Amino acid sequence: MDAVKLTIDGKEVTTTKGTTVIQAAAEAGITIPHYCYHPKLTIAGNCRMCLVEIEKMPKLQIACNTQASEGMAVETQSPKVLAARKAVMEFLLINHPLDCPICDQAGECWLQDYYMQHDLQASRFAEGKQHERKREVFGPHVVFDGERCIKCTRCVRFLQEVTRTDELTVVDRGDHSTIALFPGTVLDNPLSANINDICPVGALTDRDFRFRVRVWYLQKTPSICPGCSTGCNISVESYQNRIARFKPRINEEVNSHWICDEGRYCFYALTDVERITAPLIRQEGGLVPTDWKTALGAVISVLSGAQPVCGVLSGRNTNEEAFLFAKLLRRLSPQARLEVYYRERKLTEVEKILKSPDRSPNFRGARDMGVSDDGFEPLLSDLLDGKFRSAYFVGEDLLREVAQGEKVRQALKKLSFLVVQDTHLSETAKLAHVVLPAVNFAEKEGTYTNRKGRIQRLRPALVPPAGARQDLEIFSLLLARVGEPIRRATPGEIFLEIAREVPRYRGLTYESIGNLGVQIES
Amino acid sequence: MEKLLLRNIEAPNSHTLELYRSRGGYRALGKVVRELSPEQLIGEVKASGLRGRGGAGFPTGMKWGFVPKDSPKPKYVVCNADESEPGTFKDRLLIEKDPHAIIEGTIIAAYSIGSHTAFIYIRGELVYGANVLQRAIEEAYRAGYLGKNILGSGYDLDLILHRGAGAYICGEETGLLSSLEGGRGWPKVKPPFPATHGLFGCPTVVNNVETLAALPWIIDQGPAKYAALGTEKSKGTKLFSVSGHIRRPGVYEVEMGYPFRQFLEQDCGGVPNGRKLKGVIPGGASMPVLRADEIEGVRMDYESFQAAGTMLGSGGVIVMDDTTCMVKAAWNIARFFAHESCGQCSPCREGCHWMEKIFSRIENGQGRKEDPDLVLSISGNIQGNTICPFGDAAAWPAAAFIKKYRAEFEAHIAQQRCAVLASE
Repeated sequence: MDAVKLTIDGKEVTTTKGTTVIQAAAEAGITIPHYCYHPKLTIAGNCRMCLVEIEKMPKLQIACNTQASEGMAVETQSPKVLAARKAVMEFLLINHPLDCPICDQAGECWLQDYYMQHDLQASRFAEGKQHERKREVFGPHVVFDGERCIKCTRCVRFLQEVTRTDELTVVDRGDHSTIALFPGTVLDNPLSANINDICPVGALTDRDFRFRVRVWYLQKTPSICPGCSTGCNISVESYQNRIARFKPRINEEVNSHWICDEGRYCFYALTDVERITAPLIRQEGGLVPTDWKTALGAVISVLSGAQPVCGVLSGRNTNEEAFLFAKLLRRLSPQARLEVYYRERKLTEVEKILKSPDRSPNFRGARDMGVSDDGFEPLLSDLLDGKFRSAYFVGEDLLREVAQGEKVRQALKKLSFLVVQDTHLSETAKLAHVVLPAVNFAEKEGTYTNRKGRIQRLRPALVPPAGARQDLEIFSLLLARVGEPIRRATPGEIFLEIAREVPRYRGLTYESIGNLGVQIES
Repeated sequence: MEKLLLRNIEAPNSHTLELYRSRGGYRALGKVVRELSPEQLIGEVKASGLRGRGGAGFPTGMKWGFVPKDSPKPKYVVCNADESEPGTFKDRLLIEKDPHAIIEGTIIAAYSIGSHTAFIYIRGELVYGANVLQRAIEEAYRAGYLGKNILGSGYDLDLILHRGAGAYICGEETGLLSSLEGGRGWPKVKPPFPATHGLFGCPTVVNNVETLAALPWIIDQGPAKYAALGTEKSKGTKLFSVSGHIRRPGVYEVEMGYPFRQFLEQDCGGVPNGRKLKGVIPGGASMPVLRADEIEGVRMDYESFQAAGTMLGSGGVIVMDDTTCMVKAAWNIARFFAHESCGQCSPCREGCHWMEKIFSRIENGQGRKEDPDLVLSISGNIQGNTICPFGDAAAWPAAAFIKKYRAEFEAHIAQQRCAVLASE
């Protein structure tokens, strides 16, 4: 590709031909303020915030639509540019409500940020402000405030260009122009909530998240969406040890800038459960709390050498957990049948943009760790046929997930011993002989390997309740009891062991995974 | 002076093919398609010195020359008949009285770039004009000037009349193209320019009605004869539509370089009722106003108007006598632009309404001392920073009225009422 050399604020920058000035500046670490420009959408050029001065051009040019060319000299901080920026900020704010204290965008609002950086003047606007529609529900996840809108059209372009569902458009003219649904339409596509993320101001907000937490209180943890095996990079944003929202994290190799609505809100089902905080053991009359020593002892004594046994791991368990689970079950019963939960469903064309057909984010990694013999469906049918005497289920409520619930219930009732390790007393756990209280995806550390073979890190965002234990710890305690003590049962140490023992993971280090993951050959 | 553009309009049935042909109509087209290559044609138009009559004054031949010859895409010519500039009604006269001149000019322009589909985009309100043009297009098809194998030359062209839905912004060439594509009449971000990425992303030339209507005469009489008219840089003749406080309003064809004062006082009969001239906008509402004392020595051509601090624009001359309240005039113009701003880019969307609201306050007795300077500041912040020239068109007149009649604004603010009515 042809290289182009230009200077931006006196700094020499080399980029490829066809790159715009705003991109070239970003590559060189210079941020040119903007609203309507979005790297994944077409150029609209309407906000005029990215105006820059270019040598030999009489007028200021918008950096988002100007291609870098050889010898070009760009100024992003000249007096003329600063004055234009200030002017654009003033124009955007004259009709904007001054109600930041009750606006949910406050704290992550580009108008606020840019006002502080580029404007900082008292209002010169002595007229009445233009009024627009407020609190208009666009769809299940999006609510619109016309007065806060700056008409950057990012939302309109997203729906035209990414989902191609075209629910929104611009209507009316001049300072009456506003965003509106096409008549008879609802903004309800599988990616709809992304427009809340790309809206730079408080015009589009998330109906689920808004007014729950002021954003500056949020604790942000880079992690991986547990919704499916695409492995979208997310930021788990929590407050007072509860998840407040998921936000997409940019990863061009996986999810670009987006996440799907199903993934975005999937944490409710996974975390809004009544936690169990002590092991339970079955006695006459039902499950009763017990101590860990008793519970773990029961698991070892019954499962040791028991035949035939099956182990089903959740698709939300990490590689490290899967590695120890396989080690444990093979040790307890060399003929044990192991599977990771995996079922597929049909996806629509829009869903296919991001979603995978499963709900098992780490099925691929679990299989790589040896938690797979013939696939989940054959194991399930053998279970229904009564071919197993005992079973060890981790983190998946089979009675709820599998359509033949009643048949599964009868099959599980016939088992002579069932261990369930989960966060809550699920329908399946109610049939268990021993229940081990574990943690959810947001409370643990480790790695997932997505459908395409990308290893990515899951990071703990929440503190688990006292009494529950990390899955990894439970497995290592059990392993210690069968004579295979794990010296340091931390995800990092176990990953190193995986890197020694699992062929495709050979030579990797935990640190090398970083925030964006590493690809293994598929 | 011999009339070129208005040569036919006073003849009875001037809109018919029969009359047009009886006066040498479509002779130029025959010459073009039979004798000239597109390159030769572009050369002739360049030699004539013809410049765009829509307002910007860009050399027509050069504009055609920007269209890539090797593009595999279809090419389009669009006749911009969306005449909407306040004070401008010259194209309307040509449309209603001499439609065949426009059609012949459009065919010639299309031939120059190898286009086989051309459009006339006519302002929605011009219903009568649209009917006249449609009938004329049908006549031209029947006579073999449009359609397949025009005049046996092997050149094909279809011409489609499209009526706008009534927005000033659709007169801006890329707003027009967006509208013609079936979208919102939003101007496009440039680059790319229409010459390479115009209608439906294909190379496109957009020419004004008056520009196209000048072409048959230029080809028929020869570019040298046209270039001999006017000044060194502004060649030929130009239509001016004169309105306001003037004894004989109407459309005038004037040789470029004609003295402006003489034009107003003699040709148009001057300001009636013994009143005095207070100001005149020479190029449609979007151009800066000239005070009476500023028109001395100004000539009617692109360069002379520019030297006087305004522009020739569309040639819409709006005359105001000394009964005119300049605050009200400024407000009226600002209100028009606030109403017509498309709302796409921030400075124009917000700034036009802001200026309108301030003018309204001043006129209605609620002006503040700082308002005139505030308008100048807003106007300066819009100028040059918008997607299309509309921003300038709204910002220039606002600033000009304040700069040139500042005392009147200050009097309104000081007296908290309309100062002109007070002096009556």
